[in-house]
Amino acid sequence: MGRYLERAEHLCRLLRLQVEALVDRPVREIHFGWNRIYLSLDRQPPGGSIELFGGDNYTLADSYTLADDLTFERFNPNSVWSCFALGRENARQMRHCISAEMWTCLNLAYLRLQTLSIQEIWRVSPENFYTETASELHTFVGVAAATMYRDEGWHFWQLGRFIERVQCVVALLLAHLAAGRQMEEFLDEDWISLLHLRQAVDAYNRSYSVDVQPDQVLDLLVTDPLLPGSLWQSLDATAEELDAIGPGPSAHSSAVARRLAGRLCALIRYDWPDREGREVLLRWVREDCRKLHEFVIAAYIDYPVEDSLLR
Amino acid sequence: MDFGTYDLEADIYDEMFLPDGTPRQHYRSLYETLSQLSAEEVGSIQERVTRSFSNEGITFTVYGDDEAEERVIPIDCVPRILSDGEWRQLETGLTQRLRALNRFLDDVYNEAGIIEDGVIPVDVVRGCPQYRLEMRGASVPHGTWVGICGTDLVRTNDGFRVLEDNLRVPSGVSYMIANRKAVKTSLRRLYRSSRVREVEHYGRVLLQTLQELAPYGRSDPCIVLLTPGVYNSAFYEHIFLAHEIGAELVEGRDLLVDDGFVYMRTTAGLRRVDVIYRRVDDDFLDPLVFRSDSLLGVPGLLHAYKRGNVALVNAPGTGVADDKSVYAYVPDMIRYYLGEEPLLDNVETYLCRRPEDLEYTLDNLESLVVKRVGESGGYGMLIGPHATPEAREAYAKQVRANPADFISQPVLPLSRAPCMIEGRAEPRHVDLRPFVLHGRQVRIVPGAFCRVALRRGSLVVNSSQGGGGKDLWVLRD
Repeated sequence: MGRYLERAEHLCRLLRLQVEALVDRPVREIHFGWNRIYLSLDRQPPGGSIELFGGDNYTLADSYTLADDLTFERFNPNSVWSCFALGRENARQMRHCISAEMWTCLNLAYLRLQTLSIQEIWRVSPENFYTETASELHTFVGVAAATMYRDEGWHFWQLGRFIERVQCVVALLLAHLAAGRQMEEFLDEDWISLLHLRQAVDAYNRSYSVDVQPDQVLDLLVTDPLLPGSLWQSLDATAEELDAIGPGPSAHSSAVARRLAGRLCALIRYDWPDREGREVLLRWVREDCRKLHEFVIAAYIDYPVEDSLLR
Repeated sequence: MDFGTYDLEADIYDEMFLPDGTPRQHYRSLYETLSQLSAEEVGSIQERVTRSFSNEGITFTVYGDDEAEERVIPIDCVPRILSDGEWRQLETGLTQRLRALNRFLDDVYNEAGIIEDGVIPVDVVRGCPQYRLEMRGASVPHGTWVGICGTDLVRTNDGFRVLEDNLRVPSGVSYMIANRKAVKTSLRRLYRSSRVREVEHYGRVLLQTLQELAPYGRSDPCIVLLTPGVYNSAFYEHIFLAHEIGAELVEGRDLLVDDGFVYMRTTAGLRRVDVIYRRVDDDFLDPLVFRSDSLLGVPGLLHAYKRGNVALVNAPGTGVADDKSVYAYVPDMIRYYLGEEPLLDNVETYLCRRPEDLEYTLDNLESLVVKRVGESGGYGMLIGPHATPEAREAYAKQVRANPADFISQPVLPLSRAPCMIEGRAEPRHVDLRPFVLHGRQVRIVPGAFCRVALRRGSLVVNSSQGGGGKDLWVLRD
């Protein structure tokens, strides 16, 4: 549940900024944005590839199709609709472990989504739709914080959210760098939009200046311990949740998982390079985070029974 | 709410009105309250009640040809009411019936005195597909084979009758509580003044019952609810009940048997399980004993159960007592085991395995309901008066081919209760499923899942076939 809903929220943020860009941004920036989104999701756009050169009308029509693919497409497991449906299905299965308020909050948001379509949201204001949907997810997180008992169910939910967040951020940063390479140059606007995507514009202005420097943008999104959703903070939170959960029945697997989480924290804290090698390190993080998920499953869910009988 | 066009029929008992059209004593407050409300006001109550089910995701799953569909069970906002006297009559009758059924199960899986004494033919019991040879010689705590029973009752002008005993995995109790929650908040003033008996403590009573059925010596038993999983049509109820009794909701893959004990996998390791409130059918409980292709059960579970290391509620093999053929003998069981006359009547039943009953059934198909003994949920039956001659003939062929698979009963004029249909009060047929719990003693929460056939003239109350629910209010004396 935690992972699906975190992904839905991340996607809403990406799409809100993307459809906002349709109002007044140049075609090149819009193309850059779509490329970045699809690369970060590791998904082929419908029709194969996004045309780089087309007029305004073509760009708008294309954007409609792409937004539909990422918002309401049932067969896209990472669309907003699918993430909601799967997150709600998970919540339904563990309804007895979450609070009644959480369930009602999530179910109402899900039911609202069922009544909408791309035609409907596009006709009025797609930005509002993504803002409202993200806001419903924020409300859900707030309701959970206020009402859910802090037992292992809570910690596993949090753990899922933070692992997903790390993966979303890393995928976005790698996609941003790859999209820039495809365009053969970065514009300041690309970096500003990246800050917007991670809700980090104000933090950047405070920490640095209004003058955007690519390295500083990456530094902020990766290593700032005060920025919500920075890799530093998300990995720290992941390690804390693992500690809170405790060793579990498979002592070996849980120790491996905790060690890996600690190593990822240390990697970001102490090994984040000044310039060269950043992309390589981000790829390591992506791969290790995937492994971390597997170790967690092996340690707490799919553990060998023999380990447990010996305890 | 307009009762002006509400029609009464002499041969059908109306829950709210006497034959002369005046409301029954215990319905007067409800009648007056509803009469004072405009159609819009009642419509808004109905809408609120329906929406509350949708918002809270109180659903059941219907399986179509291609995919499963999650549906909200329709609920009518007008409650059905029983007086204290009516409820007491049901309570004593249901208690008597479940005591006899438990004695019957203990007997047929052990000494089989009822068969030896010729009260029930041996082939009716041992020929029943639900009779489990594997359970012969088993003993259960307090002689309780059936800890949770949902008995379907109907009312005619002659009084209440038992339509069916559900002794395997009876469902619907969550709707009893959900209906109450939705309706009482919509009719709050009337509810407060009506002195309605509560049902919301069902979870506590169920927990107490399950604790009493734990293996000997397990004073603080670990209880789990075993569900077939999220695709089961009653999954909402499984979650609801697990929450109500504070038990873990588990699937077969979450449990394992080691050295004759059952364990649950938890994130902290294995934990011994003492009581399993199982919502999985016998066939799928243990692939080593029953269906070997079952992925829903737990290998070795029956072995642990027969060693007395875990309690299964209800016990495997209880289906033999709610078989449609065995049903006809329940009044005889009550006389045989308890030495009492049955307090609740059965519906007159013709067993097609008997030549004279077969002949009667085939001669009177147009006035009978014919049911397959192995089917439930309103499926596989013929309602003679509503069927075409061709359908009756086709069904008769099946009956002739396998008479023992069928029983027949007269079409009962089920009682009707007012429902809110398109802003007006209209009568619809209803039944009643109270839940009887049997631990050390019998306990019944004063309420029931009241089912209603929402289609005009329909007698089928099953939610999968156009039925809905109603809240049932049992009034204090």
